[in-house]
Amino acid sequence: MTSCVIGVGNDLRGDDAAGLLVARKLTGICGNDLRVVECEGEPVALLDMWQGCERAIIVDATQSGVAPGTIRRIAAHAGPLPPGLAGTSTHLLGVAEAVELARALGRLPARTIVYGIEGATFDTGSPLSEIVQAAVERVATAITRELEAPD
Amino acid sequence: MSKTRTVKTEYLARVEGEGGMLVKIRDGRVTDVKLQIYEPPRFFEAFLRGRQFTEAPDITARICGICPVAYQMSSCLAMESLAGVEVDGQLRALRRLLYCGEWIESHTLHVYMLHAPDFLGVSSAVELAQTDPELVEKALRLKKIGNDVMRVVGGREVHPINVRVGGWYKAPAKAELEALVPDLEWALDASRETVRVAAALDFPELERDVEFVALDAGGEYPIDHGERLVSTRGLDFPIAEFYDHVVEEHVEHSNALHARLRERGSYFVGPCARYALHRELLSPRALAAADEVGLEPVVVNPFRSIIVRSVELVHACDEALRLIAEYEEPAAPSLEVEPRAAWGHGASEAPRGVLYHRYRLDDAGSILDAKIVPPTSQNQRSIEEDLFAFVSAHASLPDDELRLRCEQAIRNYDPCISCATHFLTLDVERS
Repeated sequence: MTSCVIGVGNDLRGDDAAGLLVARKLTGICGNDLRVVECEGEPVALLDMWQGCERAIIVDATQSGVAPGTIRRIAAHAGPLPPGLAGTSTHLLGVAEAVELARALGRLPARTIVYGIEGATFDTGSPLSEIVQAAVERVATAITRELEAPD
Repeated sequence: MSKTRTVKTEYLARVEGEGGMLVKIRDGRVTDVKLQIYEPPRFFEAFLRGRQFTEAPDITARICGICPVAYQMSSCLAMESLAGVEVDGQLRALRRLLYCGEWIESHTLHVYMLHAPDFLGVSSAVELAQTDPELVEKALRLKKIGNDVMRVVGGREVHPINVRVGGWYKAPAKAELEALVPDLEWALDASRETVRVAAALDFPELERDVEFVALDAGGEYPIDHGERLVSTRGLDFPIAEFYDHVVEEHVEHSNALHARLRERGSYFVGPCARYALHRELLSPRALAAADEVGLEPVVVNPFRSIIVRSVELVHACDEALRLIAEYEEPAAPSLEVEPRAAWGHGASEAPRGVLYHRYRLDDAGSILDAKIVPPTSQNQRSIEEDLFAFVSAHASLPDDELRLRCEQAIRNYDPCISCATHFLTLDVERS
């Protein structure tokens, strides 16, 4: 199965870097049927990034009011992102909107998984918080397992 | 008995960053209009202090995910002006080509995904994809072609890594650029069709008497550079005198600084300004596209900016094709830039308007001071004035419709609110 992992975020905005950091941790496991990409811009680009993939795993920081460091895994191919998570991406025309756009156009990979990592701070120039750093490690491990599991 | 209505939008969707607006109507008359910004203040100017001058393009590119090239270009130009270096010939042509990629990408995103839903009576690009998937597919392809130009010239699509003060790390091969031609030819046709589609929309009535300001790029439509700023009311000054003519003020309800022209007031930057000041410099095909739909030489209804943005889309495709046809690989990818203790100024035309950078360096090339004036902070006062005029004329509309129309009026400017917020030493009062 052709897969891609897409980390979404901004390096200079504190915990908003979480998705990018997960992607960087996974770069080493890239192979013929797996690519790992970073998305620092607007997420409509996701539609091109996962083009041709049967499985897409997207990681983004969330700002939804739950405890910082909370990890959520959503099977986005099964239905819209749950309320409380949709629209809470820190990016405009966010990941949720890009997923829905792709669904409407029939361009959503058959298996689309969204990992959300709740951030503590998104201030420009602030460092990654410890709790989110730990969550980054856990999500990277979880995705590695998910990719290694038999179909 | 007086009756007060308040129309408020907490979060303004479909503008980059987070913003909101407040409109107060008392006895059918507008008493207050505020565009509010909730984004945390930008720390970039402080963040740049102490950094090497060569780092500014990469750092400032991260201010905005939609227009990183604009930030890279304005900062490079500032550093080069300070060192007395002029990047020209094919090195500059490549910059213009990269910038055309950003215009195509950004204008397409705004016209189709952000602004068109307002005119077509759908709530978002997602709903538009459900009702008119062909239109959205076309927009996505057009946007991707802009991204492809950025990837080939800039090394990657977002935050291009190939840009440096003095030029490039590596100049692309002619064949790499030529491979973009078939797609750009398709994009050119799709852009012309975009102009027709945009011109056929219904536009709310609004006429504003504004002062348009844009760069003057000496005989070409301003995109990647400009030494002077000019206005439709006769202003004409070198960009180094920016702060002699522009005042930035903190206003209570916004983290962004509002810019105004000294002793003149608000002004308007962006596609409508460029078009009003430099219409005759558009590529022949862009001009023909404007003529075909009877676009007036000066567009004073800000809702019609979507047509002007589409005309600029034609221009960007056409210009990219011209630059590729004339491209010859340069002998060296960059020029030497020696820093010195001085002030440097740079400005370029971001898709949404003039982006001005000013830096002061020491002899070792360390940044002592940085100022960044994004287009949205220059337009903010004008946006509020539009809202005031529009709501005054349409105060009888029901709240929901008024709210939608106000949002649409804000999106006329393609505002990038996260870029417009500024680091402030003042305490910010929030309501």
